[in-house]
Amino acid sequence: MGTDRYAYLSRLRRVDPVAKVWVSLAVLLLCLFSESIAVGLVTLAVMSVLNVALGGQRTGTVLRFMKVPLAFLVIGCLTIVLRPIPAEEPALWAVWLFGRFRWGITLTWLHMGLMVFCKAMGAISAMYFLALNTPMTDLILALERLHVPKLLVELMELIYRFIFVLMDTAGRIRVAQESRLGYGSFRKSLDHMGDLVSLVFLRAWRKGDKVYTALESRGYDGSLTTLSAAYTGGGRVYAWGAAAAALQVVTLLLERRLLP
Amino acid sequence: MKQRSYSNVRLLAAMAAVLGLSTLSASAMHIAEGYLPKTWAFGWMAVCVPFVVAGFLSIRKKVERSPRAKVLLAMCGAFAFVLSALKIPSVTGSCSHPTGVGLGAILFGPTATTILGLIVLLFQALLLAHGGLTTLGANLFSMAIVGPIVSWAVYMALKKAGVKPAAAVFCAAALGDLLTYVTTSFQLGVVYGNVAEYLTIFAVTQVPLAIAEGLLTVVVFNVLEKYSAAELRELSVL
Repeated sequence: MGTDRYAYLSRLRRVDPVAKVWVSLAVLLLCLFSESIAVGLVTLAVMSVLNVALGGQRTGTVLRFMKVPLAFLVIGCLTIVLRPIPAEEPALWAVWLFGRFRWGITLTWLHMGLMVFCKAMGAISAMYFLALNTPMTDLILALERLHVPKLLVELMELIYRFIFVLMDTAGRIRVAQESRLGYGSFRKSLDHMGDLVSLVFLRAWRKGDKVYTALESRGYDGSLTTLSAAYTGGGRVYAWGAAAAALQVVTLLLERRLLP
Repeated sequence: MKQRSYSNVRLLAAMAAVLGLSTLSASAMHIAEGYLPKTWAFGWMAVCVPFVVAGFLSIRKKVERSPRAKVLLAMCGAFAFVLSALKIPSVTGSCSHPTGVGLGAILFGPTATTILGLIVLLFQALLLAHGGLTTLGANLFSMAIVGPIVSWAVYMALKKAGVKPAAAVFCAAALGDLLTYVTTSFQLGVVYGNVAEYLTIFAVTQVPLAIAEGLLTVVVFNVLEKYSAAELRELSVL
């Protein structure tokens, strides 16, 4: 599902997930803290290239995932750029709505909107470096090594597993309903959707019960312990991460220099 | 003059359409990675900390009392994730996804919902790129703290006041949903000083959705009441 399907194919799959977590977070935070268009674009480029070159993802895959948050960002940044402005303020473009409100674009806010857009795209590509190269199960085990409470880690493991079970259940019920002329009108849609949701809930609850019984009959004492897979050291990832971070810092300094 | 006001109306309509349609898309409810400036991103995280700690302690108490609760809670979390992936029928003909805020809060209580919400939001951020890591705090606050608490409080208050269960469930789910949207638009707007803009967009597009989700939750509850009274009693909803 989602990025996970590709993470299993990644060439960095066997690399220590903790290294990938730190590198992604460091690059992401640097991008967020520098608040500049150039750094955002550099981060976007570097992390996407790393995803393709180091992780072995196809370019198309990376591009497709970059499109996911685009809808939100375009709207979010349009509302920053296009806004009510005072009558006396100079604007690049402005229009009077109903002769009373003045809406338009000013240079400051255009810059702000662009900055937010580039910064967010950079941050997202840094997050994808983690998501597209680390299967969720490895990531959850890594969280335990990072001292996330055991209860939370176990809940995450169980939830992750159950998501697929329930998705499958929901998908089957949906097909069954649709093949019996379900979801015809708004009223019917509501009824059928209600059936679907409550049935999935019921099945989840009962399945949970069965899973517990199965666990208990195998000596469950309140915690699930699993061995983590053997990982190769994260040295190379750390090195590339350091290079990416250095590039970000250099870009930031250059921008500060050139654009006062 | 008349010509100009027409073109204004047209512009406004086009804008509402563009802004409105895309807020209906699935990822629009979640604030994307990197959209919030650092102070706000970390500020919202700090705000969430006490709620998360309280939720964690309450879950731990439940699990210590009976280990079965852990497996059942996990099922509930997975249910919340699947619920948010389903398409909800909408009056306007377009589709959106239920937040599950009201249903979760009524079924599991607001404290457990916070923790389940945290895990589900993390999965959504990493697996589907809905939301993000640095915006996790803001998203958690609107969807797993404000919404559920409002839903739960409304449900409890109406139940105590002797309102019909269906009406109580509808109000709880619809209001929880609406407050989630209001919180999100506040979080988005307050940063760049255009709260009113966001609130207008959300009011137009999300009010019908809140009503649809309210109706849906009522239907779900009716079915659950009919077929799984035992499970609901165990959750101490009834």
